[in-house]
Amino acid sequence: MSTFHLIIASVGETRFEGPAISATFPGSAGEFTVLAHHEPFVTTLKKGVITVRRDDGTKKYSIENGVLECSNNRTVVLL
Amino acid sequence: MSLKNIKTKIQSVRKTSTVTRAMEAVSAVKMRKSQERALTARPYARAALRMLGSVMGSFNAENHPLTRERKEGKVAILLITSDKGLAGSLNSSVLRKTEQFIVEENLLPEELLFICLGRRGHEFALRNGFEVMRHHVNISDGIDEDQFSLITDEVVRLQESGKTREVRIAYTDFRSTFEQEAAVHKILPISLKIMEHIIASITPERGKYSEERQGNGAVAAYTIEPDADEVLAALIPKLTNVAVFHKLLESKASEHSARMVAMKNATDKARDMVKELTRTFNRVRQAAITREVSEITSGIESMR
Repeated sequence: MSTFHLIIASVGETRFEGPAISATFPGSAGEFTVLAHHEPFVTTLKKGVITVRRDDGTKKYSIENGVLECSNNRTVVLL
Repeated sequence: MSLKNIKTKIQSVRKTSTVTRAMEAVSAVKMRKSQERALTARPYARAALRMLGSVMGSFNAENHPLTRERKEGKVAILLITSDKGLAGSLNSSVLRKTEQFIVEENLLPEELLFICLGRRGHEFALRNGFEVMRHHVNISDGIDEDQFSLITDEVVRLQESGKTREVRIAYTDFRSTFEQEAAVHKILPISLKIMEHIIASITPERGKYSEERQGNGAVAAYTIEPDADEVLAALIPKLTNVAVFHKLLESKASEHSARMVAMKNATDKARDMVKELTRTFNRVRQAAITREVSEITSGIESMR
């Protein structure tokens, strides 16, 4: 499976960093999923749960708010 | 000086040097920790800057209270100092820089508003009769984000409400273990230039982490959802947060390294003093023995 590099970080710590197959985010304009080679994209996130799928299973992170940026097969979420 | 006095003095100097040596070691560990923490905020800041760059083009700075330049209102100074002394000229240089800034900008005391992190800065503000809006002492090195957001939220609120026209931060820039520099920087209203400066300063010029200095890469054309204003409204408080957080960590690292160096000097000085005192002790002891011997011999001579 092709993957993309995902970083979920708050100011004080990095909650997740590594390759992911897909990730689902609670976008402020509705839920969406990012796969590998997503187009360059910036959006805000609302309160909800981020679901990250990897080879070894899924992980969930609950967030209050955030901003997401996708470019060059890398997705960064700032909480 | 009598023999006994010198002996006591040697002992007390020795004891002091044990304390300073211990403090030196503690500061060294704390310094490393603070440095590492300061670096964890870096990927965050870089990503935030990239996003800001991507949406800034389609955005009018006048639209957001945190980016709009204003003429009226006070100047808030976020003064970061340490709680404790024994750190060389660390605090005095921050305070001097602040005074200098106030003089240069021709600011009247009633135009100023202080938020003090650290006891020394608070004392300074009170002594000079400045208005202190809030002060925090005993901020731990491992300050967590929730605690910290309270401070930045306050700053952001001040600027949003229009009570202040700008927010400056007075802190100590960490260059290396032996070199720290006090600085006063503008953090609000925020601009790309300020952010770039922050990112640049996040990576040290020399030392362990300096090789990680790298460019931001080209910014692609982004799809922005829902729109640029919305994204910026979410992004700017985060940027302020990371900016202030980083300055705080940097001040912490500076504090610990300044203290480490100060304590190292104290330990070295104590060692010299012990050496010197031991020498005096031996000389005085020798003199006493010589005196006693000559007294005895002259006593014997007179008895003959």
